[in-house]
Amino acid sequence: MSDTWRTRAIRLLLILIAVVWSGFPIFLVVMSSFKDVREIFAVPPSFVFTPTLDSYRRLGQLWPAFYPNMLNSLIITTGATVLTVVVTSMAGYVYARYSSRLLTGSAFFMIFVRMFPPIIITLPLFPAVNLLGLSDTHVLLIVLYATFFVSLGTWIMRAFIEQIPRELEEAAFVDGADLFKTLTRVILPLAAQGIVASSIFVLVFSWNEFIFALIFTTRVAKTAPLIISEMLSTADGVEWGILFAAATIQLLPVLVFVIAVQRYVVAGLQAGAVKG
Amino acid sequence: MWTLRPIHYLMVAPVHLLLLVFIFLPALYVGWLSLTHSTFGGPPEFVGLSNFVTLLGDRIFWRSFWNTLIVVNVVVYGELALGLGLALLMAGWVPFKRVVIAIILAPYAITEVTTVVMWRYMLEPDVGMINYALKSIGLGQIEYSTDPFTALMVVSVLAIWQHLPFTFLILYAAVTTIPSELIESAKVDGATPWQTFWHVTLRLILPAVFVALMFRYIFAMRIFSEVWLLTEGGPARMTEVLAVYLYRQAFRYHEFGGASATGWMLLLLSLVIALPYLRAMYVKLFRHV
Repeated sequence: MSDTWRTRAIRLLLILIAVVWSGFPIFLVVMSSFKDVREIFAVPPSFVFTPTLDSYRRLGQLWPAFYPNMLNSLIITTGATVLTVVVTSMAGYVYARYSSRLLTGSAFFMIFVRMFPPIIITLPLFPAVNLLGLSDTHVLLIVLYATFFVSLGTWIMRAFIEQIPRELEEAAFVDGADLFKTLTRVILPLAAQGIVASSIFVLVFSWNEFIFALIFTTRVAKTAPLIISEMLSTADGVEWGILFAAATIQLLPVLVFVIAVQRYVVAGLQAGAVKG
Repeated sequence: MWTLRPIHYLMVAPVHLLLLVFIFLPALYVGWLSLTHSTFGGPPEFVGLSNFVTLLGDRIFWRSFWNTLIVVNVVVYGELALGLGLALLMAGWVPFKRVVIAIILAPYAITEVTTVVMWRYMLEPDVGMINYALKSIGLGQIEYSTDPFTALMVVSVLAIWQHLPFTFLILYAAVTTIPSELIESAKVDGATPWQTFWHVTLRLILPAVFVALMFRYIFAMRIFSEVWLLTEGGPARMTEVLAVYLYRQAFRYHEFGGASATGWMLLLLSLVIALPYLRAMYVKLFRHV
């Protein structure tokens, strides 16, 4: 492409705008978490300052529940991701290799159910969950989060497993491997990219989800986004420094993860949304 | 070995069990609940369509309906325009492309709660960065806590910021699969960049555009956190959207019947929007059986 210097300059400017638009608010949160409280609303805004860990110290003192809630997020996210990977690997394999009217019908059912707005299921679930004593438990959120991603996950796994040559399975079968062995020794190692791709979506969702956590947790299983939202709506004024420190701790691990696996995000979306 | 056996049905069973038990059956039950008077403790009592009648006569329901409609359309088409522009931009020469794409993707990793935190910080009256900048160049301030329309626009900007990566990625993937010979030959034939875009690029990525549109419509309609954490639907319930309205009905006023009616409307709207996509998928799936 033979761009003139002028079109190049315009391109660069537009790219710069896009980068600032996407990145600056996040940068601002992380940067401000290291600011002295008085510096946070400095007028005009300051970008050069002596970093301090003061906000992080006070986060631990004033919101002692924050770190246990981070741990809850970790447990719930791990659980939901593992559950999703296990059930979608099995289902994705079957959809990749076999077909029947019933299977096709059930595949359509999976796509159909994806259109349901999650909030509506809280209505019957809320009393049922209270009755069963499942309210405010990790396992409830694990199962709910996984449920909303098994459909996408199955679709992604199917797309990846389809590309594995059947001959490999036939060879394993001749060697006397049963279905379980074939799956765990032949298929899954080769579909590792699919596992990563389908994990990303449920992982990011579970780590960040707000409304189910708001409705179904109160104390024991409360997640990080929920306690951050509480910091945002305290009656006696928001403590921005603490809020930024908490938000930074919550966002950095998953941000690093998403950037590390960015090419699988594209692959997953392609397999999940566009292909039939 | 390639015959379908019962074990294979057993392998797809867990996925379907989850979907049935936690989504499909509860959704159907919500349909039943919407026909009842239901609150905490007491058993649901059948009241016919009266919840829907109440809903349609409720000023606040209609306000949240129109608010949802406004936000959804601003978000979906705003995202489409930005996402398409960005996809075309990124398909050409870009320095440090991987880094730039990583930064564009970043908002996807952020929880809605933190998104609200950062935008509320920038929009604090007088001292927030955006309001400070606007004020110092004499443009007044963005006051979302008093002006409902401004609040809805701020909510839309937040949602666009949060979900642009999704729209961008789907369109970017489509744009990058266009064979470059097609673009080149259009240029050789003397097409202007605009003609090339309109007659070649857009034609080829149209399916991806529709998929992105459909998914974003359906997801945008569920919008809750941005509104709840920014305004709680206020002032005076002026900025509620359907999901917030439903949440208030159910978890503040304990009117599960009425909330279920709202929920069913949300579900039906989603299905109507998804219909063309569902139809296309149905045809595609059953073509080979």
